[in-house]
Amino acid sequence: MSRLLIERPLPHGGRLVERVIEDKKVAQKLWKSCKTTYEIKPTLHYETGVPVRNVYREIMSICYGFFSPVEGSMKQAEVERILKERRLLSEWIFPYPLIFDISKDDLNKLGVEVGDRLGLTLKGKPFAILDIEEIYEIDPEELAFKTFGDPETNPEVVREKFDKKHPGWVIYRSHQPWVLAGKYTIINPPKFKAPFDRFWFPPRKAREEFEKRGWRTVINHQTRNVPHVGHEFLMKCAAFTGDVEPCHGILVNAVIGVKRRGDYPDEAIVEAHEAVNKYGYIKPERHLVSIVLWDMRYGNPLESLLHGIIRQNMGCTHHMFGRDHAAVGEYYDKFATQILWTKGIPSFGFPAPPTDVPYGLLIRPQNMREFSYCPTCKEMAYSETCGHKREKLSGSFLRGMVAEGVQPPSIIMRPEVYKVVVKWWKKFGYPFCNEKYVINKEKELEVELEDL
Amino acid sequence: MAYFMVVLLDDSRMEKIKGTDLEKNIKYMFGGELRLLEVEVNEELKDKILAEFETARVDSRGAITDVPVAFMRELFNQVAEKKSLGPEVVEGVLAKVNEIKELAAKESEYLPPPEIETE
Ligand SMILES: [Zn+2]
Repeated sequence: MSRLLIERPLPHGGRLVERVIEDKKVAQKLWKSCKTTYEIKPTLHYETGVPVRNVYREIMSICYGFFSPVEGSMKQAEVERILKERRLLSEWIFPYPLIFDISKDDLNKLGVEVGDRLGLTLKGKPFAILDIEEIYEIDPEELAFKTFGDPETNPEVVREKFDKKHPGWVIYRSHQPWVLAGKYTIINPPKFKAPFDRFWFPPRKAREEFEKRGWRTVINHQTRNVPHVGHEFLMKCAAFTGDVEPCHGILVNAVIGVKRRGDYPDEAIVEAHEAVNKYGYIKPERHLVSIVLWDMRYGNPLESLLHGIIRQNMGCTHHMFGRDHAAVGEYYDKFATQILWTKGIPSFGFPAPPTDVPYGLLIRPQNMREFSYCPTCKEMAYSETCGHKREKLSGSFLRGMVAEGVQPPSIIMRPEVYKVVVKWWKKFGYPFCNEKYVINKEKELEVELEDL
Repeated sequence: MAYFMVVLLDDSRMEKIKGTDLEKNIKYMFGGELRLLEVEVNEELKDKILAEFETARVDSRGAITDVPVAFMRELFNQVAEKKSLGPEVVEGVLAKVNEIKELAAKESEYLPPPEIETE
């Protein structure tokens, strides 16, 4: 074999974390051994009371291995290490604290101690267990500031002090002050509702699927949006990287979690991406749509690090990053993600890129600019290649067109993609997430649970 | 900076401006697949729009976007009625600002989907 060939990377940390009990008898026994139970609650905005996060999504992503090598709610020393140098106690790099937080009241009511096993219910049904190894108090506001950095401490990339206009900062600021740390185990695997069920490829299944398809090299496309033709070209053309031939597969991985008003509904996002392969714009043999549960923290370079971890765990060899990756507002430099992956960010613990530090990542970044229509070339052209004036398409212009009920031309949005948008528009009475959708989604979640 | 608002033209809107001078001002984008008119907006009107509608924004080209759909619908009506693309069009829209806001309030929860076949 050529030494130039790139092999599928090992999971981050060396092995996949899998903490899901499928055997009902074993699960029932574990459930009976719990000291008491606790119904998982959504994290509510510390001022407005609107749901901003649900820890169930973190438990799912941890136990199915998306966040390998993380195995549970982090201990205090681990959270502190992450905030200082973005490393777990096991040395492996990781961007965010992940904790199981509860109120003082709930802690008192539960009466649990270190060494106890806590049963976690979701929508009233047994869901997971948490083996408590440590109980400690946090200051949510301090946690929020330290998680994202600030212009003084992280002058390389942080441009503005974080505040309540940043949805990720709000998530940490809204955490409850007491933390139960310890490993999670899912004892009653939830069933995804349609259409999400057919896009559920947790790391082991994703790796098996890649193997089955003969995909040695796979490039990931991160999405929270319905794809327009610019995205389609980004995927197709970024896939020309690879090793001695273009990447064998393009994995679309949609982040499913709390929505903001004006986003497209998650149902439309996954089915619209599927339409890209179903109707041959990228043939299905080379394109796969999948999901991961996560309430986006919008931490730009930090979020890109998490994205790299998730997709390496899923078996991808490459990851596309664009300008303003997973960003909101102007808190970070527009190219903060590119700075991290090409030079590193010393103040965040990266004197070199995350692929070049000990206990770092194996997935390769593919930094991309954008595609837009060039009337001279008469095609979708790459911003760094085409020397003409191109017709740039802003997201808000396209959303305005959709809201007005005008079908976008097929060079902007494929007709089959538009049909998917309209299909869910008919169902929800709105093309984007309105207040009703946002609230309902957090009440119903993406999953159903059976009795144990 | 010169400001403007884009009026998209689908087939039914094309019907309504057929034979008028407006046809000469139609601009084409995306290889001729998108037809549109650009309505002139002066500084004062731009400020008024931004003050009346908190979602409204000005993009890097000077286009005013993210106003309610009801605003955009009335914008076309005024264009068709006045057969013009001058500032009097937006003035005509802003004369109905209360009516538009009422419609916009309803539109934040419901928008009628287009009548196309889905699966
Ligand atoms: Zn060109």
